[in-house]
Amino acid sequence: MVNAIIPAETNGIRDKAAIVGIGETEFSWDSGRSELQLASEAIKAACDDAGIAPQDIDGLIRYDMESNHETLLTQSLGIKNLRHWESVSYGGGAGNAVAGHAAAAIAAGYCNYVVCFRAANLRSGLRLGRARGPERIPGGADSFAVPWGNMAPAHRFGMFVRRYMHQYGATSRHFGWVAVTLREHASRNPRALRREPITIDDHQNSRMVVDPLHVLDFCQENDGAAAIVMTTAERARELRHSNTLTLVEAAAQGSGPRNDGIIYRPDLAVSESENTARDLWARARLDARDMDAMMFYDHFTPFCLVNLEAYGFVPKGEAKDFVEGGGNIRFDGGLPVNTHGGNHSEAYIHGLTHVQEAVRLIRGASTAQPPHKIINRVLSCSSTAQLSGAVIIRRG
Amino acid sequence: MTQEREPVARSRPMTGLLEGVPLPDLERAPDYERGFWEGTREGELRIQQCSDCGLFRHLPTPMCPECSSLEYQWTRVSGRGFVYSFVIVRHPVHPAIREKEQTPYNICMIELEEQEGLRICSNVLHVAPEDISIEMPVQVTFMPAVDEPAVVLPVFLPAPEE
Repeated sequence: MVNAIIPAETNGIRDKAAIVGIGETEFSWDSGRSELQLASEAIKAACDDAGIAPQDIDGLIRYDMESNHETLLTQSLGIKNLRHWESVSYGGGAGNAVAGHAAAAIAAGYCNYVVCFRAANLRSGLRLGRARGPERIPGGADSFAVPWGNMAPAHRFGMFVRRYMHQYGATSRHFGWVAVTLREHASRNPRALRREPITIDDHQNSRMVVDPLHVLDFCQENDGAAAIVMTTAERARELRHSNTLTLVEAAAQGSGPRNDGIIYRPDLAVSESENTARDLWARARLDARDMDAMMFYDHFTPFCLVNLEAYGFVPKGEAKDFVEGGGNIRFDGGLPVNTHGGNHSEAYIHGLTHVQEAVRLIRGASTAQPPHKIINRVLSCSSTAQLSGAVIIRRG
Repeated sequence: MTQEREPVARSRPMTGLLEGVPLPDLERAPDYERGFWEGTREGELRIQQCSDCGLFRHLPTPMCPECSSLEYQWTRVSGRGFVYSFVIVRHPVHPAIREKEQTPYNICMIELEEQEGLRICSNVLHVAPEDISIEMPVQVTFMPAVDEPAVVLPVFLPAPEE
């Protein structure tokens, strides 16, 4: 386990790449159109935001769950020569990892304009929260879980949450404060699917789906697409947002030691995000105190607490006090969290919207822009998923 | 200030396995997993154990993550353990669970007494969801799957405190 203990130190991507464009489709319960259509629209919007043409793109980085493969997009976008492509695995674990990969491709000179995207009909099409798959399981992790009814993300992550509550004394009310705060942020965001404000009592009285998780602890399942465009910091100075460069300062990925999501890890209340965080801070030569906001992958609200601790914003076990009442994590609080409303209330685009919101915060363009401070650095990080990623976006 | 607590209405306990859920196809299971299912069919909980360093491991894998040995055996364990973590599913995601009204049901991670951190996923029967707790002692038993009796699943029952 030597490589897990010694932090990474080399940061070959530092400030080499800039996010020059962000774009998305509307978010909906039923888009009524194909995933290729959604991807094309979101990428076009991101290119428009950057001030480039889709034909300028020569790098594509997709999630491995993405149905829009490279050859479909080269045709649809009019790319003459795709110089670089990658797919990044592990569901939400790819959420910020794609941005790290894109920055590396730019730093290496593999391509000039690289796009990261995610486009999916995750409500009208395949729903991740539903049980699926063959009637007979051909071995593997599912065969040791599904026969006992362990068949959905909430079942696995709920197991983690129960253990976390047991070890650190967090309660459902603490998760409720995260829900209330994210919904408040979404109430200001016209893109958001859920804009109706909620109270802590609404959360506590909401349907218990998988005890200890109430329905208001869950993210959305929706249709939609999002995309970001990256190029070199030098080229960024020639483009539309040249006045406010948003640079990728550092990136990291990390894992836990065991198979199958999270349920077999040695300590079920410890997130692999701790490994990701250690490397990220070592590479950036920064720590949590240097961050002006945190965007985290909110598949379930309790992972706000887990990430606050994993990235060192608060000592272990103290996140429950930090989120109490919601004041600290509100857009006008000490550490604004998911100012777009997150997967919880804006939309679930597999974590890519969090990187977009980091860019908006630095541009001063969030619909829940912190009124009291200039946002210079934002951490965008995925949550416990067994494999996770994180990036630091900074003002250039 | 003491608060009077409303008595909690107990939900019904699970009394058997879930019906209509996907089961493993033991013909297609990889070679390094089969010992588990051969054991359950004979009424034994067998866990994969490294033949060189003695480490138990679950989920099964071809190689020992500790000493990299490719040699392993299937060792019968006591079947005693405790509830390490659990969830109560009140809203089902699988149609068979919904249609047959099989909620609420519990899913428990059971830590086996042989080795710290050695856990398997299962259900605990004959205990109301509200009475399941972390560290509750349990003992294995075996039941053939309702839809395919050739597949025998380990489940757990509450056990007396040691």
